[in-house]
Amino acid sequence: MYQDGSVTVRVILETKQRSKPFLPVEAESIIPRNFLKGTDLTVYEGNKERALSEMFWIFVEGTAVSPDKVEVVLKGDTARIKRVGEYMDTGSIRIMGDIGMHCGNFMSGGLIEIGGNADAWLGREMLDGSIICHGNAGHYCASGYRGEKHGMKGGRVEVMGNAGDFCAEYLTGGEVYIHGSCGDMGGVEMKGGMLVIGGDATRPCGNMKDGTCVILGRVQEMIPTFERIERRVLPEWKITADVYKGDVANRGKGTLMVNTSGLV
Amino acid sequence: MTELLVKNACVFDPLNGISMDVMDISIRDGRVVESVSATAEVIDAHGCLTLPGGIDSHSHVCGTKVNFGRYMSPEDMRAGRTARRGKMHVTSGYYVPTTFGNSYRYSTMGYTTVLEGAMAPLEARHTHEEFTATPHQDMMANTLFDGNWAIMEAVQKRDVKRAAAIVAWTLSAVKGYSIKLTNPGGTEAWGWGEDLTSIHEPVPNFNVTPAEIITTMIAANEFLHLPHSVHLHCNNLGKPGNYQTTLETFDLVPDRNNGRQTLYATHVQFHAYGGTTWRNISSKSEEIAHSVNAKPQIVMDMGQIMFGRTMTMTADGPMEFNLYCLHHNKWSNHDVELETGSGIIPVLYSKKSLVNCVMWAIGLELALLTKNPYQCLLATDNPNGAPFVKYPEIIGLLMSKRYRDEEFATLHNDTGQRTIISSIEREMDWNEIAIMTRAGQAKALGITPQGKGHLGVGAEADIAIYPIRCRNVDPSTEYRKVIEGFQKTMYTVKRGRIIARDGEVIVEGANSTFWVNPSVPEEISVATDPEFVRKFEEYYTVRMGNYPVQDVYLPRGKCIRTEVLP
Amino acid sequence: MIIKDAVCPFCGCLCDDLDVEIDGQKIIRVQNGCTLAESTFTGSTRLQAPIRRTASGWEMISYDDAITDAADILLSSDRPLLYGWSSTHGETQSFGVHIAELIGGVIDNTSTVCHGPSILAIQEVGHPGCTLGQVKNRADVIIYWGCNPTEAHPRHMSRYTTFATGFFVPEAQRGRTVIVVDTRRTESAEIADEFIRIKRGGDYQVLSALRAIVRGKGNVIPNEVAGVSREQLIRIAEICKNAKFGAIFFGLGLTMSAGKYKNVRNAIELTDELNRHTKFTISPLRGHANVYGSNEVFTWITGYPYAVDFARGIAFYNPGETTAVDILRRGECDAALIVASDPGAHLPHSAAAHLAKIPTILIDPHQTATTPLCRLQIPCTIAGIDAEGTAYRMDGVPIRYKKIVESSYPDDADLLRRIHDRILEVKGV
Repeated sequence: MYQDGSVTVRVILETKQRSKPFLPVEAESIIPRNFLKGTDLTVYEGNKERALSEMFWIFVEGTAVSPDKVEVVLKGDTARIKRVGEYMDTGSIRIMGDIGMHCGNFMSGGLIEIGGNADAWLGREMLDGSIICHGNAGHYCASGYRGEKHGMKGGRVEVMGNAGDFCAEYLTGGEVYIHGSCGDMGGVEMKGGMLVIGGDATRPCGNMKDGTCVILGRVQEMIPTFERIERRVLPEWKITADVYKGDVANRGKGTLMVNTSGLV
Repeated sequence: MTELLVKNACVFDPLNGISMDVMDISIRDGRVVESVSATAEVIDAHGCLTLPGGIDSHSHVCGTKVNFGRYMSPEDMRAGRTARRGKMHVTSGYYVPTTFGNSYRYSTMGYTTVLEGAMAPLEARHTHEEFTATPHQDMMANTLFDGNWAIMEAVQKRDVKRAAAIVAWTLSAVKGYSIKLTNPGGTEAWGWGEDLTSIHEPVPNFNVTPAEIITTMIAANEFLHLPHSVHLHCNNLGKPGNYQTTLETFDLVPDRNNGRQTLYATHVQFHAYGGTTWRNISSKSEEIAHSVNAKPQIVMDMGQIMFGRTMTMTADGPMEFNLYCLHHNKWSNHDVELETGSGIIPVLYSKKSLVNCVMWAIGLELALLTKNPYQCLLATDNPNGAPFVKYPEIIGLLMSKRYRDEEFATLHNDTGQRTIISSIEREMDWNEIAIMTRAGQAKALGITPQGKGHLGVGAEADIAIYPIRCRNVDPSTEYRKVIEGFQKTMYTVKRGRIIARDGEVIVEGANSTFWVNPSVPEEISVATDPEFVRKFEEYYTVRMGNYPVQDVYLPRGKCIRTEVLP
Repeated sequence: MIIKDAVCPFCGCLCDDLDVEIDGQKIIRVQNGCTLAESTFTGSTRLQAPIRRTASGWEMISYDDAITDAADILLSSDRPLLYGWSSTHGETQSFGVHIAELIGGVIDNTSTVCHGPSILAIQEVGHPGCTLGQVKNRADVIIYWGCNPTEAHPRHMSRYTTFATGFFVPEAQRGRTVIVVDTRRTESAEIADEFIRIKRGGDYQVLSALRAIVRGKGNVIPNEVAGVSREQLIRIAEICKNAKFGAIFFGLGLTMSAGKYKNVRNAIELTDELNRHTKFTISPLRGHANVYGSNEVFTWITGYPYAVDFARGIAFYNPGETTAVDILRRGECDAALIVASDPGAHLPHSAAAHLAKIPTILIDPHQTATTPLCRLQIPCTIAGIDAEGTAYRMDGVPIRYKKIVESSYPDDADLLRRIHDRILEVKGV
């Protein structure tokens, strides 16, 4: 996804064995910019503060010159490490395996690539930048936070596998592309941006206010308050789609386009 | 016996006629005394501005609807959060802080006494629980009567003594402090989704008008000799043209009390609009101030709005629903059987909105056009107009024409056509600010006999020392210093204990709650009136025996007893 | 002796008109209550003394030892979970929050398996509600959606709705129209004027359809939505729009079926829409007597009504992450304090099972399904029976529990205070 030649320093963090491996780790300090000053960072394991070196084997290749040229690589048992990439604004993070909740929260630039699966709230409240997940994403992928009027505002989240429930909830801007299927209520409360679901979806786009959603697979239980406008060919997606406006229950003016061979 | 000596304090104590005197203040066992021994703890104020502890005479900080505001707003809770530190608990919330959040932030600003703006009697227990969790301010509760069925029945029969007896029973049962009327009659109409548009419009099913409720309650209040006057949120809040309602209401008010006002009109900014629609709304502050200047029996508070996000929460249910229809933000509503209502909705006051700019100007105009600072007090109807942490900025605006002009220049272009703020030259001085933020409140609330609002011998030693060398600061030009100074005290002293220093609260609190137990002649008491009891048990959903707030809820309650006029 | 106007500590109705007859310190009869009240007051045997698990079984220990043990377990934990709180009173709940803050733990209450979704919905769109007396005195249309009050809140209809006489509804049932919405015909449906049967999981779609109809856009919906005919939907919408005062009550049928908080949100938004035409309110039928109390207490102290995580020294809230069920299911916590609740019975098995793998302390008067999962159980008073304190009814009205009888058990508030003070002492704060 990027040229190695653009990276001038690579920080490799490999997880050490833990006596209580089920405790969650909060690692919001792991963003490329922070490694300019070195690797003397802290993370939290439960309610205990730990030095980065207590939790990870640390290998540094190259010398840091500017934050955008920093790449952080995470290896090992990373499935419970939360908040990696939070507030990240530049540089790149590559996670070889799975990653914990809130990966790429509030991200405003740079790239995060996840080799395995991502837990819930991937890319929450994202502003810009790019996230690619090769596995599956959990619930609330590319969504907002409780009570806020807006969710993801910009950037791009791409999931090669499936996403869980409430994907792109409150989507306000940017693009979300799920190659696989979504769980229940993908695109619920959408008010802007673009959501594409390559596979199937259940009850998509409830309460939609604005924005565009394209579903290439099958839809289970279409929300009854979408108004069918027309049937149209979508050459960029190579499908014929029924185009709906809605959610009428919510005075919505969003566009929902469903593959005609996909309605169940 | 604990003694404290505050040296070199530059004191403003309007109630005792002290103005910019550098002096020492002696404190023993929580009260100001003539002198202390050589073993007293000493703090040096270095000639800095020293005032009696701040008093907020209208703030929504404790109770059912405030807590509603918190738990429906996790996004505000995370915006205003602070970590546990020293003696300070975790806090959350920016415009609706948690109780500890409120308490610490008030302490940091030197405020030591707060009147909770609205408490529904049925839910008083909740308010008292939150009072205990706001440990660094002495608290008291405005008790809501605007939609009270028993009261409206008494008003309909023109029976002032009956109304007084109901007030007496209720205040002593729920340990309230004063009579609060919010959109009188309107909150009952809202029980059916309706509202009233005039103070002479009858309340559906009850055949009384707001004007009658207000005049009867004023008479009842004075009959009972309550320390505070009736506290009124006028009808038609927020509607273009509502200044007429406000003037009509003010014209109803007799002068019935020598010691204080006969009506406290709250957040009058929201009630001072000319025009007929949102498009032609304008300021009518001149008309309102003119009325108040001629009526010593009226005291008001500003209800200043400040730009930014905040939360509106009032007992004025229909008004909150109108805001929902306008802005579609999340809306909560909570009508309380036989008593009152409430509504909660977040708002954003924006400089791009001409309406909001007019509102901002009106609050300041009211303060600057009212001749006697005792008659227009500083408040934002926290959090409705703005969170109380904005008070220092309001002080800066009142004291500096230059600051006002700078702010004015950033507003909507047409603001000048609808308001007169840019033509007002007056700048408040330190003494006037001291009146608008403590002395005036103490007098209006009737708590000077309790030792609040002044620093004379016998007063409660609630003191705020601000890092402002007032002899060397010109508030007209150095408003930034004024604002910063009022944001964080050097010391906040409460009942003789140093509770905050440079923004850190350093001890656990032990506040008191003031409440009133008015006595009435046995023959008019409602507690033993079979009709009152029968209706109570039939229409409420709690038993009358379970309604009163037990003593245990006020661990350090201070009861003020009153007697009726002979 | 008869104690009048006692407050029942069982369900969210918080009936406060019970007459409890006692003989010495024994409760012998309850009048005015429902059968659930009867069994609550005259209830079963209680644990005699604190018990601690040993290799060979259980041993009785002193309260002092139990408190020291409990404090030690909590102090040495990296991620302690404090759960329960619904059946006790406000002072206990306060101490729970303060302990969680002190030790950097997570505190959660039973909303997590009940009306948590309602709270999430309220956090998105607000709560247009009222106290129960407003419904009693004014409501001519009452809707029970996804709940069965006849069984779970037996006196709800007689005290607050259908059968109650109100100031403006003197004819009680004859002056009210009752609508029941459910996936099956329940006992409550039997007394309804209109029953709507919804296909399981279809509540959201039906609510969307009703909103559109009330808006005047019924033409977009199909002939049938989740098993409900368009004709019936239009009829229901008309009844609602023509009401003088409508009240919706809902329960687990909405909160625990697919979509969860989105179902509740949709019901609230329907209520908002109806408010443009007439007066309408919506309220959750809270299950436990004082679960709302734990929401209120948690909120005024921390800012959040449940699922509060203090691990980072601030209050952090994220249901789905900081909720007890999720933490337990993922095996994330390494110690637990359970107070006034029975997770062994009420949590999904996969979650409850984790309690047995970690040091779990249970503060509860009875042997319950949680007892076999814990390491240490400390019996205490029962709020409303041998302890007094504040409880919050399902509509937010606070009522004080009475102490009906004396006992030698310590108040659980006292127990928590002692654990709290011991933790302070050890930490040297």
